[in-house]
Amino acid sequence: VSLVSPLRSTGFRLIAWYAAMFIVSVAILLSVFYWITSRALDQQLTDSVERETSLMVEVNRRRGVEGNMRGIQVRTADLRSPRRYYLLVDSAGERIEGNLGNMPPFVGWKSIPIAPEEGAGAPRDQHTILALGTRLPSGHFLLVGENDFRTVKAKEAIFVAAGWSIAITGLLAICGGILLGRGFLRRIEDVNRTSRAIINGNLSDRVPTRGSGDEMDQLAINLNAMLDRIEILLDSLKRVSDDIAHDLRTPLSRLRRGLEAAREAARSQKDCGPALEDAIAEVDAILETFSALLRIAQIEAGTRRAAFGEVNLRQVATDAVQTYVAVAEDRRQQVSADLDGTVTVQGDRELLTQMIVNLIENSIRHCPAGTRISVRLASESDGPVLTVSDNGPGISPSEREKVLRRFYRLETSRTTPGSGLGLALVKAVADLHGAALELSGNDPGLRVTVRFRNQPAHRSQPESEGRVSYSPAL
Amino acid sequence: MKILLIEDDSDTAGYVANGLRENSHLVEHAANGRDGLFLASGGGHDVMIIDRMLPGLDGLAIVKTLRGAGTKAPVLMLTNLGGINDRVEGLEAGADDYLVKPFAFAELLARINALARRPPMAPQVPVLKVADLELDRLKRTVMRGGKLIELQPQEFKLLEYLMRNAGQLVTRTMLLENVWDFHFDPRTSVVETHISRLRSKVDREFGVELIHTLRGSGYCIREPR
Repeated sequence: VSLVSPLRSTGFRLIAWYAAMFIVSVAILLSVFYWITSRALDQQLTDSVERETSLMVEVNRRRGVEGNMRGIQVRTADLRSPRRYYLLVDSAGERIEGNLGNMPPFVGWKSIPIAPEEGAGAPRDQHTILALGTRLPSGHFLLVGENDFRTVKAKEAIFVAAGWSIAITGLLAICGGILLGRGFLRRIEDVNRTSRAIINGNLSDRVPTRGSGDEMDQLAINLNAMLDRIEILLDSLKRVSDDIAHDLRTPLSRLRRGLEAAREAARSQKDCGPALEDAIAEVDAILETFSALLRIAQIEAGTRRAAFGEVNLRQVATDAVQTYVAVAEDRRQQVSADLDGTVTVQGDRELLTQMIVNLIENSIRHCPAGTRISVRLASESDGPVLTVSDNGPGISPSEREKVLRRFYRLETSRTTPGSGLGLALVKAVADLHGAALELSGNDPGLRVTVRFRNQPAHRSQPESEGRVSYSPAL
Repeated sequence: MKILLIEDDSDTAGYVANGLRENSHLVEHAANGRDGLFLASGGGHDVMIIDRMLPGLDGLAIVKTLRGAGTKAPVLMLTNLGGINDRVEGLEAGADDYLVKPFAFAELLARINALARRPPMAPQVPVLKVADLELDRLKRTVMRGGKLIELQPQEFKLLEYLMRNAGQLVTRTMLLENVWDFHFDPRTSVVETHISRLRSKVDREFGVELIHTLRGSGYCIREPR
């Protein structure tokens, strides 16, 4: 098991992609912004030059070239704003007026580089002017220019701002990504750490959850539920093997003694038949215990739930009582039933039958002659309730929980044959059906109550199938 | 009878095959699923005994394939101890009966006999007869020597099952499964108690015993010799 390097991790790659996409988007956005803004600035400059030129043409038409000369003198006298440049040249090519050095006349737009000292008072760094050359109606040549200093500065400022914006966006995207990614990676790492702990044998470790209910939390919750399930199964398996080791030792020793006795009998030419019969009976008892244990383990594993169907609990109880009335009579005991209506539950018919049978047999086998055993089935508001009670010796409150354990046997019933698994199986079946099992005193005797909960609405009984009481005549 | 045995465990296979041969049956044995299916599709078997867990092709798949191909021979499936879902799965796949390993040979034999006697598609006979005992399945009445006998519902089912297998050994487990639908071993003498009640009604006052106990293996209803 090794840690994934941060650069190769899914989280990092996700964040890198996210940041890159973000930066590219912002860059495209700002480029468009820059392009549109600089076009608007350029337009402003050309508009201004064109306006001044057409004004000069108008002046020339009305007042002749003298008007232009005066206008230029006035405009260039204010040295604080040497934004505009003029050059007035006569038809012979001689400079008449203006704040620019002489140059060959031209008509149309031109970008003219100028030395910093040219044009008095001009800032040092203004080195291009956008100029428009025109032939005036008087035959003179006029050049009007405007320094693009402000436009260039504004473009530069916008360009720099855009650059910074992209840089800051990139920085934010990466920082945010790292923060987000660390959170994400930490939660993945939580899962990995838990997995490693479990691989190393710490089965009770669980993935931490935050209660935020997001996907990572759901994953953690599901993983934990899966781990709980696995732990229960492993526990159950472990208990079964412990139980087998502990409780099959006695009958196996007995079997061995019996077989040795049979061998002795065979050597001394005696009849070894009875000894072999006993040995076979012992093996059968061991197999039966084994089978019951495996059955309980499988019930606890919960795989039977997949095959649940609708079971008429009343029918199951009726059949069981009918079967055991005769068995009880032979022991001078009495079994009676008080079964209310049609009570159906979602469950496993075979296991529910065994549960009721085990409860009735438990009373029959551990109670003396003359005991009355009663099986009751009632549909209460929150689900069917099955009660099997007797007026026998009962179980003391301190031992009621213990008898549900595998192989636990009361001192008083040590002599009764049996594996001590009957009530453990009842508990397993009740748990499988989500039913609460409760042992209580019947004053005198034992009362076992199975309350079926979380069952889909049980059908109310039709009139014809009302309460059935079944009491055999003794 | 000609019996096909598909079982990979050589101990079990030897034990079953020898026992069946001693009871003068003809046994064909396959140690894996593929050979088993090949032999089975050859046909002519009265009963097939198929293990649930087999290398290659498992027992369930074999039964499904055979039933899909229209093979009607009854199938007894052998399952492992504790597999509580195996029975339902086996029966759903088309097996007729199942037996949990390890088993007593007498149990296997009784079940094979019961299966072989079960007419696969024949209509059910409405009236079963053993000597002067008559059981009417439709009217749900039992008469012996012309005298009506009152039986509890479970006693009726018990007698019906015994009479359906008249002359054959019926084991305690077969009765529990078929009469009571108990697929577990009860810890009280359910079968013994009901057999004894049935005897007191069907046999006692008529002098001649029809229901016999075969010690250690089961019960049998048969004509007096």
